[in-house]
Amino acid sequence: MARQSSRKPPRAYRSEALAINARDVSFDWTGVPTAYIPGHPYATHFWNVMHLVLPEGERAMADVLGRALTQIDDPRLAEELQGFIGQEETHASSHESFRIHLEDNGFDIPKVTRLMEFLMDQVFGDHGLKGRAGEAWFHERLGLYAAAEHFTATVGEWLLDNEEFDRIGVDPMMLDLLRWHGAEEMEHRNVAFDVYQHVDGSYARRVRTAFLASGGLLALWIYTSSWMYAQDPAVTRHPWTWPIEFVKDTRKGLMPGLQFIFREIPQYLRPGFHPSQMGPIDKAVRYLAVSPAARA
Amino acid sequence: MTTAAPSLKLRALARGAQAYSTLFAASAAAPYLSRSTPVRMTGFDLDLTVASTSVEVDDVVSFELRNPDGSDLPAWVPGAHLDVFLPSGAQRQYSLCGDPRDLTSYRIAVRRIDADMGGGGGSLALHTDVAAGDTIRVRGPRNAFTFIDVESYLFIAGGIGITPILPMVREAARRGARWKMVYVGRSLATMPFLDELQALEGGELELRPDDEFGVPDVADLLGRAEAGAAIYVCGPPQLIDAARVLQPTLNPTGSLHSERFSAPPVVGGHAFDVHLARTGVTVKVAADESALAAIRREVPGVRYSCQQGFCGSCKHAVLEGAVEHRDHKLRAEERAESMLICVSRAAGDELTLDL
Repeated sequence: MARQSSRKPPRAYRSEALAINARDVSFDWTGVPTAYIPGHPYATHFWNVMHLVLPEGERAMADVLGRALTQIDDPRLAEELQGFIGQEETHASSHESFRIHLEDNGFDIPKVTRLMEFLMDQVFGDHGLKGRAGEAWFHERLGLYAAAEHFTATVGEWLLDNEEFDRIGVDPMMLDLLRWHGAEEMEHRNVAFDVYQHVDGSYARRVRTAFLASGGLLALWIYTSSWMYAQDPAVTRHPWTWPIEFVKDTRKGLMPGLQFIFREIPQYLRPGFHPSQMGPIDKAVRYLAVSPAARA
Repeated sequence: MTTAAPSLKLRALARGAQAYSTLFAASAAAPYLSRSTPVRMTGFDLDLTVASTSVEVDDVVSFELRNPDGSDLPAWVPGAHLDVFLPSGAQRQYSLCGDPRDLTSYRIAVRRIDADMGGGGGSLALHTDVAAGDTIRVRGPRNAFTFIDVESYLFIAGGIGITPILPMVREAARRGARWKMVYVGRSLATMPFLDELQALEGGELELRPDDEFGVPDVADLLGRAEAGAAIYVCGPPQLIDAARVLQPTLNPTGSLHSERFSAPPVVGGHAFDVHLARTGVTVKVAADESALAAIRREVPGVRYSCQQGFCGSCKHAVLEGAVEHRDHKLRAEERAESMLICVSRAAGDELTLDL
């Protein structure tokens, strides 16, 4: 019997849908310093990882989730997913625009894009699996992206709550990119999870992919940020000083710390978990109403 | 870091991923390691009974909608709307203007706009063809005008734009927030729900009909907001556009909220054919529809999102034919070989896409 999925009867929606739509944003990086968190090169490179890995990462995710559309017969989830895809595409292209700016300023970006292409193709790609195995691997990847989206939504909220960035004078265009992105992550926080639940919903798979996604994201972040730190000509200290900087900048409130992962995994793994239980998204709605890029 | 040939570490990682997918997806044990329990939801589309209709002012009728079995409807917060499916099959969006605390019924209000005034026939159909006792199909509620919890509000409603604002003001009054409301319209006789607004307590209500005060100055209206207030505007497009331009300088710590609309209709297009090279079919695109809409009939799973030419989700490679680019997203080098099928069209009579 284990081969068959246990299909529960459909449940009726008890509350309204939030309309999810891409926003027509634009960012102009002319004159924006690559050291946009002044005096904190490691924190700068930590956030640079978003610009470096998300263009390929978010497009691959939108692609995989988009394949679920033909399996979704619920018009609400289908339209939420449709909006989600557009938001992810604008995130990818906006981060990509800053990545081009980094490349123009001497960073070896092709190395990173080759790494991302390899990861998306060889590690997160379809592995040439077909039929039942291909479908199961597709479900596994949906699980990975659902877990990753839980982290992006919580990091998004962290970005909106952060006051230290304003205090130390992070470049306003960059701060707007980070917070606009964070706000939209909060706005669409349920979509990848609901798609996963609709298509698969296995709890064992949710547990497994939560650990794998958080470990993988952490490794990718640490690896890429320390590599950027090592190749930054403005950093005069030894490349291996990055762990010290990591701790210092985290304490200063410029990055979420490691305890973040230990707090969020148990949340995500509560059996009755749904992203809508993570509290109101008023701060995201308000930020999106004032974001210079989203308002333009 | 990787060079052109992947490093040992990366190849090891890829092998690890292959082993993982073999175990959890391809092996005989895979189905036992993750027993799928899909969660299916329903009830976005609802068939509701028109419990009553009521003439609010001369050309505005409100409709009270209930579940046929009297059960509770999905909850909503101020700003939500319903898609109403008209007998013609067309869809129109109407804001919920009743009380969100009462889940036994929804209320929408519809201003009749005749065809010679630019109406699309939706309001006319509801006014003339729908009566108490009828059943109508709706989709929703959906919220694209989220009401946030702050200490101070300014509400600006123009004419039938009162419908989403009314439940917001009521909620602000209920929470004991500081609120001001300016309601503009042609004349008092054309402005619905005056009595319900006047019954609210704790804030400042200003009725500002054009026939007494002249056409309003939007900067002047915005000036009524306290510093840091949330400003909710609904009304004619000119009012909303002006408010969006003026607000950031007038009240930099405040926020302006207006409803976000979906794709505008196609204008100035001509019919053309699209050959889908990989699918092997030719699609006829009518003058008043997008290439995307036509292609979706053949390829329902085709990727798209914003339908307004800015998100880039529906970018496809053009194999043959000249393109009239109508997006404002693609870079020049991307335009040379691809197009966004949601807005862009053929410059000539046909196009071939890699799709």
